[in-house]
Amino acid sequence: MPFSTETWVQAAAFLGAGFSVGFGAIGAALGEGYAAGNASRAIGKNPAMSGPILKNMLIGQAVAESAGIFALVIAMLLAFMSTEGAPMIEAWALLGSGLAMGLSAIGSGAGGGFPAAEACMGIADNPSTQGALTTNMLIGSAVSQTPAIFGMVVAFMLMFIDWSSQPLWPGWAAVLGAGLAVGLAAIGSGVGSGMPAGSATAGMARQPAAATTIRTNMLIGSAVSQTPAIFGMVVAFMLMFVDWSNSPPWPTWAALLGAGLSTGLSAIGPGIGNGFTAQEASAGIARVPEASGPVTTTMLIGQTVAQSTVIYGFLVSLILLFIPREASESMVAWVAPLSAGICMGFGGIGPGVGEGLAAAYTVNRIARDYEGVSVLLTRVMLVGQAVSESTGIYSLIVALLLLFVI
Amino acid sequence: MNELTNVPHWYLSLGGMRLEFNSETLIMSWIVMGVLVVFGFLATRKLSFLPGSWQSLGEVMVNAFQGLVSDALDERNRHYFPLILTVFLFIWLSNMLGVIPGLSEPTKDLNTPLAYGLLGFVISHYAGIKAKGIKAYLSEYVQPMFFMAPLNIIGELSKVVSISFRLYGNIMGGSIIILVVSDLVYGLVLPPALNAFFGLFVGTIQAFVFTMLTLVYISVQTK
Repeated sequence: MPFSTETWVQAAAFLGAGFSVGFGAIGAALGEGYAAGNASRAIGKNPAMSGPILKNMLIGQAVAESAGIFALVIAMLLAFMSTEGAPMIEAWALLGSGLAMGLSAIGSGAGGGFPAAEACMGIADNPSTQGALTTNMLIGSAVSQTPAIFGMVVAFMLMFIDWSSQPLWPGWAAVLGAGLAVGLAAIGSGVGSGMPAGSATAGMARQPAAATTIRTNMLIGSAVSQTPAIFGMVVAFMLMFVDWSNSPPWPTWAALLGAGLSTGLSAIGPGIGNGFTAQEASAGIARVPEASGPVTTTMLIGQTVAQSTVIYGFLVSLILLFIPREASESMVAWVAPLSAGICMGFGGIGPGVGEGLAAAYTVNRIARDYEGVSVLLTRVMLVGQAVSESTGIYSLIVALLLLFVI
Repeated sequence: MNELTNVPHWYLSLGGMRLEFNSETLIMSWIVMGVLVVFGFLATRKLSFLPGSWQSLGEVMVNAFQGLVSDALDERNRHYFPLILTVFLFIWLSNMLGVIPGLSEPTKDLNTPLAYGLLGFVISHYAGIKAKGIKAYLSEYVQPMFFMAPLNIIGELSKVVSISFRLYGNIMGGSIIILVVSDLVYGLVLPPALNAFFGLFVGTIQAFVFTMLTLVYISVQTK
């Protein structure tokens, strides 16, 4: 039985709504559960503070839940939006919208749980810092919502911009790819930017006098951990706002989908890796506030190197987007660019996390002994990162081979 | 919901070129600049040992940022302090503007954050060349190995993209969600709370993050 275009668009809106709140609920629930578990531990440790800890837990959970609430808003709008006379491409845009919001809420929800949990523990250990801890928890978890907000911006654009000027082929791949790019890219950054917020809150309970230094480092560390998500958003914008009507539908659609997957997937690893580095930096500064200069510098160098795989992913996306392709309906012509995107995307995950860990332990050691060995350790870190990046470079080479040789 | 995609424009034909201005962004930026100029005038008009109310406000801001700048920059580069504070005040006031009905944040338009991102980028590299000399500056691009140069350059350029899109995404996202939720609940109960969270709270944090990153970029270049 053939369905009308309107039915397809309606169906896609429902599917998008399902993806949005389905994926979006994962992270917030994890983060809130983690916060609640730690609140119980904290109350067990210091029952006299149970009132403030409970209050703090509820505030922290409310902020961690905001990513889930964004997903709910998008899902409601998708479920009740009017699809009268919408062209077929609108169906793909609505699907992309749901995916963008749902996937991007995973990381931020989980990340928001770290500062909430550490604030509860901190109040139990050092009740006098209660006010400072709650403030820092709010700042930290609000910052870690940023990747979800990026996903939401793209989701709204996909929903409300009139896509009828783009042709269905390859436009459908552009709007779906945009949703995947920003959604996937936000996962790692969301978790990653929550990690320093957690360790900074814990550090403040231990060392309240250094609160300003710790908070500044936390904000820088979280902000840099969000860079991979920003790459995803930039690729999503390019997919959405470049006019694809002059490109041959086959194989451009595969290149567009590949471009979204390449940056989206490869951003997951560096986001988490940068989070590990920033976490150790905040913890280290809380231990030795005088080390903040060398620790921040090493953290930034380590994070920049750990981001190189998402930069490879971004590079592959740019090649896929802007190097013109000849019209061809052969199998190889479309499978090659799609596989190039997938290859670089998955290949970027591991090195990002690995290099982030290398930088994290280096930063940890430099914080303990910042006068003696910092130059030596930075050099070891760079060599170690270069070696663990080699698999990312293999992926880049294979992706380039798929694009230019085959 | 049409406000989302409609940007008011001014057009100007100049020597055969058609120039396009985002009128709303321009007007709002001028409002922010006007407020800052008036505040600067009031705060420094009658400087005295016992500060008046405007002077106290100015001193609070200077004190708050002086510590951060002197932690991050060494003696020779402290003269970037006025720049850092100005960037903060402009972006912070821009982000606050959306709370007032009828006004909108100039930072909601990607052009404003991008201009500030480029400003910070150019200044940090200028400071780096001045502090280290052109030779040492250039040799950093071939670290740790010579073939890393293109990646290092892309990495530097990506800083502009990340710093400006971060501010833009947050402010734009906040204003969209305020608009959409207000529409869904017919303006009842929720909008003030959302304005407080996204306008005042997130706006302040993002202005601070932007300023700190500009400061850190300068400090990394000069070390």
